[in-house]
Amino acid sequence: MITFNTSKWRKGLCMALFALSPFHYFAFAQELHILSINDPHAAIEQFPRLGYVADSLRALYPDLLILSAGDNRSGDPINDMFEIPAYPMVALMNQVGFHATAVGNHEFDSNQYGLARLIDLGTFSTLCANMEPDPKFKMHVKPYQLFDCGGVSVGVLGITALGSMGTPESHPARMTDVKFFDPLETIKKYEFLREKCDVVLLLSHLGYKDDVKFSAELPWVDIIVGGHSHTQLDGGEIHNGILITQNSKSLRYATHSTLVLEDNKIVEKKAERIAIAGQPNVNKTVAELVRYFSENPSFKRALAVAETPMVKEELGCMVCDAYMAETGADLSYQNAGGVRIETHEAGDMTVGDVMKMDPFQNDAVEVFCTGKELSEMLISCYDNDKQRFPYVGGMTCEITTNPADGKIKKLVIYDKEGKKLNLKKTYRVVSNSYSVAVSPTSRQDMGKSIGITTPDLIKNYLEHQGRIDYQGRRCLRFVEK
Amino acid sequence: MNMKLKVNRKNIEVFEGAEVRHALLSYFALKGLDVSLVDGLKVYDLLGHEIDLSAPASQHEAIKFKLPKI
Repeated sequence: MITFNTSKWRKGLCMALFALSPFHYFAFAQELHILSINDPHAAIEQFPRLGYVADSLRALYPDLLILSAGDNRSGDPINDMFEIPAYPMVALMNQVGFHATAVGNHEFDSNQYGLARLIDLGTFSTLCANMEPDPKFKMHVKPYQLFDCGGVSVGVLGITALGSMGTPESHPARMTDVKFFDPLETIKKYEFLREKCDVVLLLSHLGYKDDVKFSAELPWVDIIVGGHSHTQLDGGEIHNGILITQNSKSLRYATHSTLVLEDNKIVEKKAERIAIAGQPNVNKTVAELVRYFSENPSFKRALAVAETPMVKEELGCMVCDAYMAETGADLSYQNAGGVRIETHEAGDMTVGDVMKMDPFQNDAVEVFCTGKELSEMLISCYDNDKQRFPYVGGMTCEITTNPADGKIKKLVIYDKEGKKLNLKKTYRVVSNSYSVAVSPTSRQDMGKSIGITTPDLIKNYLEHQGRIDYQGRRCLRFVEK
Repeated sequence: MNMKLKVNRKNIEVFEGAEVRHALLSYFALKGLDVSLVDGLKVYDLLGHEIDLSAPASQHEAIKFKLPKI
């Protein structure tokens, strides 16, 4: 026979009814909503659409947290060659209402002082726990920040990937006097955030592989908003209990993550991707800002004066000279298809002219190779660039082709003094990343990116020269047999 | 230090700091294929996630691509 203690039974019934009541649910269940992007790479044309998506979500969830996992710049000259380089992205992120960004490796493309200035111009926080800039830069980077999102306390910890040199992948000179620390060991130092916050979010520019790998060692983290590897996830994935998100670059997608908490404990995590590219609606204020930046008169700024009109080969020679002068290389080359204007009239050579001449934002790559290896690279580049011989700097080339199939039968390279290039000597050669990639010979050194784009090298060269004259300059001589 | 990765199971060496695009360009050049096709490729990591051409190659030990459907 079952008996009830009436008093205890009544108390239990009351508690059960209270637990099931709507009052209880609304009092203790909370939702955290996050809109996140990664690796926008200066896709400013997508910002009006992103602004509309942010507005729509904010209308539904007023405490929406908006985050970027870094690499906000580097990808569009309209942003990267602005008077204050990369300021357009900062202005647009301010307008959309971002709360924080991680520091991607490309953030360093602005150099230390440039990055410090951009951080001050942003109304959002810049978070990176594993870097320590010298105080002289006055760079206001914080390791983490706490956000109160409608009563949910969220600790956002920023972290960035280090390359093989122990620094993020950018030009080393842009990171002088900035110390970097091992990402995983650094993250572990911030475990105290678990006690301080309802939600711990890692804003990571480590890449998908490390996000998954590290998740096994970070049980106190709830969500990793990731970037760097441009991995397109279908919303998010749960690894070791941690929700991991990431999208491909240039704002094709953003991610909307939802974390449901009951009694300050997370009971559900989910993420969906939202298409940004192709989204028909726009935020008109953001669209107007994009129009302003796109039409900015600073692109008409003269970098140098061309004393004489220039034809394509002269432009190619000028590009190769820029590579050598700005990097200290012995020799240089540039695929012919990479020079995108045919002629230039005498007069001002502007920022816009450089953008038209070299619109690809290729990185400059240095290769240490012998004269013989260079010869093979030039032939490979010719074969893979529609049989157009690359322009060269610090040398001239005599090319003998077979008229039947256009193949190169003989290549003779002469140095600056007109002597045959020493085929055994090792030279430091600089080219653009495309040219090096389409020249995959069996050389010893495949090369290394020097962390600066080729249009930046050309722009710097023109500014340093002031006046240029390439009339009659030739670097190639063709012989048909 | 050269960067090594596999493209459709073929070992490729590229320059340090290369993007996925550069690994594919080298693959196409080595195979004697038209390098201009690279920009239309869909590229995936080993788990089948789509990655874009400008992703850092260092993030991927192996990638595979599919030619676009015509």
